[in-house]
Amino acid sequence: MIQVRGLSKEFAGRDGTDTGIVALDSLDFEVRDNEFLTVIGPSGCGKTTLLRIVAGLIPYDRGEVSINGTPVTGPGPDRAVVFQNFALMPWADVLTNVAFGLEIRDMPKAECEATAMRLVKLVGLEGFERRLPKELSGGMQQRVGLARALAVNPRILLMDEPFGSLDEQTRRLLQEQLLRIWERERKTVIFITHSMEEAVLLGDRVMLMTPRPGRVKEIINVPLKRPRGHDTEKSATFVEIKEYLWQNLRSMQVA
Amino acid sequence: MAASKVGRGLLSGWGLRIWVFLLFALFWQVSATYMKNMLIPTFTETIGGFIQLVFVSGRIWEPLYISNQALVLGYFLSVVVAIPLGLAAGRARLIDRILNPYIGVFLAIPVAPLIPMVIIALGLGLASRVAIVFLFAFIFITVNTRAGVRNVDPWLIEMAKSFGANERQIWRRIVIPGAVPAIFVGLRTGLGRAISGMVIVELLLVASGLGRLILEFAGRLQADFVFATVLVVIVEALLLLSAMRLIEQRVAPWAHDISVE
Repeated sequence: MIQVRGLSKEFAGRDGTDTGIVALDSLDFEVRDNEFLTVIGPSGCGKTTLLRIVAGLIPYDRGEVSINGTPVTGPGPDRAVVFQNFALMPWADVLTNVAFGLEIRDMPKAECEATAMRLVKLVGLEGFERRLPKELSGGMQQRVGLARALAVNPRILLMDEPFGSLDEQTRRLLQEQLLRIWERERKTVIFITHSMEEAVLLGDRVMLMTPRPGRVKEIINVPLKRPRGHDTEKSATFVEIKEYLWQNLRSMQVA
Repeated sequence: MAASKVGRGLLSGWGLRIWVFLLFALFWQVSATYMKNMLIPTFTETIGGFIQLVFVSGRIWEPLYISNQALVLGYFLSVVVAIPLGLAAGRARLIDRILNPYIGVFLAIPVAPLIPMVIIALGLGLASRVAIVFLFAFIFITVNTRAGVRNVDPWLIEMAKSFGANERQIWRRIVIPGAVPAIFVGLRTGLGRAISGMVIVELLLVASGLGRLILEFAGRLQADFVFATVLVVIVEALLLLSAMRLIEQRVAPWAHDISVE
């Protein structure tokens, strides 16, 4: 379980004077084990900053961020990140990219490759393991990113608008694939998105954030049955929650 | 119509280059013949001289060997010094700040005026020639290497950190591979500069190898052989740069064509 209490984070002004930005202000929320939490909010509400803090990539100023009681002080084997712009090493092939997290942890090479290959198959990229990222489409590249994150078997997946730079069709396919994989693995997920459909389709709960400074406005329950698919989007509940989100988001956007 | 007979194949990459070259050669031939200047050989005379020097008399080979000794040693030395220097400058702000003024100076000054100073220090032999080749080449390799390190995608570094990589792992697995394309740009630029340095020092002061040959031919007003020798240098430069391109294709196939060929 991820516990966030009174989390605050400021970024210092560019010239080091007191013209800093308060990115996050007293965030309070919890993520239960095996829960899929989607986070949505207008640009500048600190979603990415929050994710980076939970990932242990940047420090925070006040408050508490802990995982099962242990405070977060840096990256760890229990968490893995999927990046919006894929962050694949252009000089390495798919298999090497997927195996990256394992190799960092000094796993023996044969084992790395075997595990990586298993993940490559899981995301449906079998046959492409020797290709370079530039030979792959955006959707395929992100599947490599997902495979890489899953390869280290983290308890928590942190996904920063992972499908944001993909076209709608690819996005829908990857959403389905993610749902299928998640049904099997049931990891704890924090998933940042700009898309209301995505937030309601994927999440068990949706955390709505407000900008400047970033705060939690509300956490909305999504009582839609699993396993979900694109048919779920037709249900009345789905439409209702999505509308509710949009009403809120719309009013938050500064004119 | 003649134009329609020129099919796509003839106008493709290499085809086009050959056409341009032939046009240039034609222009050269016509204007040189028209000028009747004893010191400007025609295209055919130059080619004739080239064939003479390389294949018939073979006069080019020993000077070529002598000159290239300086090139090989000087270039190798500059690579060995410049790459670590560039990596250090890219990595450590402090080192970069210390080195910056010197780097600026070396980029700005023409190296040729330094030649007499080098000769005074190292004499008229191979050592000076190696030093000059080094001075011509190394700074470009350094700055490109430094740029390569600085311009590594910060998201890749963030990604590596997220998987728990330490400083050393990030350096070895992300920064160095990431800097390779830029390093190759530096190596190619440096090679071109090294070849220039190789010939210039011989023309100006240390009369040996190809430079000496050029001076000899020029002294005897054998313009065709002067041009032919220059042509040999150009051909060598093209061959070496092509070889380097091939190596780069093997080592760094992911790098896109951002540089001069």
